[in-house]
Amino acid sequence: MDLVRGRQGKNLDPMGDFERLQNEINNLFNFDYQGNRGLFDRPASPPVDVIEKAESLVIRCDMPGIRKEDLDLSLARNVLTIKGEKKPEEGNDDAKKYRNETWSGVFQRTIALPDSVDPNKVEADLHDGVLEIAIAKREEVKPRHINVKVS
Amino acid sequence: METARKAQEGRCVSPMSRIREEEGKVVVQLEVPGVKKDNVSVSIEDDQLQIFAARQDESVEGNYLIRERNCGSYEKYFTIDKSIDRDSINASMENGVLTIILQFKEEVKPRKIELKS
Repeated sequence: MDLVRGRQGKNLDPMGDFERLQNEINNLFNFDYQGNRGLFDRPASPPVDVIEKAESLVIRCDMPGIRKEDLDLSLARNVLTIKGEKKPEEGNDDAKKYRNETWSGVFQRTIALPDSVDPNKVEADLHDGVLEIAIAKREEVKPRHINVKVS
Repeated sequence: METARKAQEGRCVSPMSRIREEEGKVVVQLEVPGVKKDNVSVSIEDDQLQIFAARQDESVEGNYLIRERNCGSYEKYFTIDKSIDRDSINASMENGVLTIILQFKEEVKPRKIELKS
């Protein structure tokens, strides 16, 4: 009689189950559910992701409703500054408003970058309301493939 | 449309919205950063305005040093009343903001009555 239901085609792997459980719990804390936020927890500046890849550093920033002209990016001594202004909605003020959850105003965000990036190789792109900045890493820190000859 | 429908299956967040009434119409604006125009579905079922927007830009392999943006697609339902004309609904996307314009029915719109002398 089977006490433990086995997965088909896999051996019983109790330690793997623990690892899976731990990953699930970790994922639970990673998930940032916007709908559950309280009234005062709204972001005062656009949320940012910083992702380190093997050869570059990618920064993504949600900027719905912000135009290219209203953004100002600068990089000085490995400190990236994203400045901008989110213009309030256009239209007459006497329009009847039913709901306004969005914010508008000036924001600034500074991000200290690791030393491994090359400040001269930066590309920035704004599309679909997401700002994406890619900064290449310096040549000496990029992973290199070295062939070892075996004689 | 298909990808937008798939949004229902995954984790969805409700986008920040802004609703105002202008002359003869209601303007609904939703902030959906990271969504392409083709992945948005706006439909009306009975008295419900259903909006799905699938996010497509979440495929970065790497080590996250900071993670603040929410992942997942967007989903929002609004109940609309009888005064909205179901046949003249317009939706457009710009800079990650989805704008839906709902026209009032002709008979509900304020009319100016000319005075005969």
